[in-house]
Amino acid sequence: MDKFLKRSVAKRVFSFELNEATYKVESDEKLVQILLPTGTLCSRVFIVGVLLDREETRPDSDFWKIRVSDPTGVFRGFVGKFQPDALENLLKIDPPEIVAIVSKVRIFEGTTSNLVTLRPEVIVPVERDVMNYWILETAEQTLKRIKDMKKGESELVEMAWKIYNPDLSYYESKIRDAVSAILKVEKEEEVSEEEIEEETADISESFEEDLELEIPDIDEFEFEEEEIDLNDILG
Amino acid sequence: MDRIHKLSEEVVKKFKNSGYDVNIKDVYKRLKLLIDEFKVPEDEAVRTVTNYLLKELDIPRDKLVVDSPLVKIADIGSPGQWISLKAKVVQLWDSSSPNVSQVGLIGDETGIIKFVIWAKANKPEVEEGKNYLFANVVTDRFGGKMQVNINKYSRIEEIDEDISLPPRDVDIVGALVAIQQNSGLIRRCKICNRVLTKGVCPIHGKTEAYDDLRIKGVMDDGENYYEVILNEENIKNLTGIGLEEAIELARKHYDREIVLSELKNKLLGRYFRFKGRRGERYLIVNDIEFLQYDEVEKAKEILSKIGGETIG
Repeated sequence: MDKFLKRSVAKRVFSFELNEATYKVESDEKLVQILLPTGTLCSRVFIVGVLLDREETRPDSDFWKIRVSDPTGVFRGFVGKFQPDALENLLKIDPPEIVAIVSKVRIFEGTTSNLVTLRPEVIVPVERDVMNYWILETAEQTLKRIKDMKKGESELVEMAWKIYNPDLSYYESKIRDAVSAILKVEKEEEVSEEEIEEETADISESFEEDLELEIPDIDEFEFEEEEIDLNDILG
Repeated sequence: MDRIHKLSEEVVKKFKNSGYDVNIKDVYKRLKLLIDEFKVPEDEAVRTVTNYLLKELDIPRDKLVVDSPLVKIADIGSPGQWISLKAKVVQLWDSSSPNVSQVGLIGDETGIIKFVIWAKANKPEVEEGKNYLFANVVTDRFGGKMQVNINKYSRIEEIDEDISLPPRDVDIVGALVAIQQNSGLIRRCKICNRVLTKGVCPIHGKTEAYDDLRIKGVMDDGENYYEVILNEENIKNLTGIGLEEAIELARKHYDREIVLSELKNKLLGRYFRFKGRRGERYLIVNDIEFLQYDEVEKAKEILSKIGGETIG
């Protein structure tokens, strides 16, 4: 069935923005789309970041929890046997390692808050320059969305203002930091790869702590979606 | 042009489309009074003036055709929508069914789509290369693709505009986000060159076959996606794996699938610059390379944009 549908574009979005998204739009075709704080709908993302760790949710469940960092924070995601290619690759990777991920996005609705997670279709180790280009490209596309937010012309933009009321200058400062980091690395060529990766990991760790406070227990979110995936495959 | 003038023109046009002439000055005066003087909301004002004119000219309400919204072809996403399009007839096909008067492709600057004019619609024929307003047509999905149907409620009107078509040649930077089935080391039928699935040609059944290397994939630049086909030469230039190397690899591992997973590891998730030509569904790639760019230059350019906007 899938091939008959128009494919959704993989949006470029930093983790700090994706993690703030809470609002789900269900259109026809059962497509779940998430409204980003910068006023665009998103059902698929392309990200390049550092796979920090992978952890099996229960022993022998073949269902893995992953964390992937970009310069602004951490993406969380789950990989299971319904994404065999992604799972096979994931198990070959020895974190931390730079990976490119193509992924559907899902929102788990908890009692106190909603949690955005990734459902990767593709995970593949890539080179550092791919990650740098992703950061620059994502910065550019996020800035473009911010510009549209300031203009305030479309319906989605109005909705995003109403729901999120984002502090755009904070967004811009996050983007500035991410892009500046690339210039810094370029200047300090002597910095070894491992050190940078550690640094990135540190930043995400601290971000992680903030998140943990808001989301008390990730395991309380039920994985009902597996059933939906199963239906998709059988149907 | 001020807002009220624009609204007046819309009202006049609405009547004209249904075959009635109304005086634009009269419409303008009435709208201005309602909107400027009495602060009536625009849509209410338009409705009020329309009702007044209907009564005045003694026109039955159902004679006044209200056109469906004008959209671009790229925005057509779901079936069963009533829309209007301004488009050029790109190609007419032979109709195989007596129920169909004309069938073919129409396009605007955002895309190309199949159209069907039902015989029952009883419309004058359209010509290739001419531009038309296709008002009140219905979107439909047929054989997995979107199309528009022209029925008896639709209106086709030749327009004095030259609609441009999407550029056939593209030059894009994007990431390879998917590699589809029937990629890698494949086998083709010796008679018709079609790709075999499980050793069987869809037309000729079990047949003699030859090896080929190709990738059907999806490039995505964050705003659009492009279905692309890479041939053996493209793949060899990018990965160093040509047909010979692929066959050797498969022989060594006793597994043809190894070629596909090798190509996936080398190509998926990477950025490319590629030039190509649009086909009906796939983009035929002429030239493709891994993206090369100046990191520092691009980073500085982006930073300067943030600075400028914060001050302004």
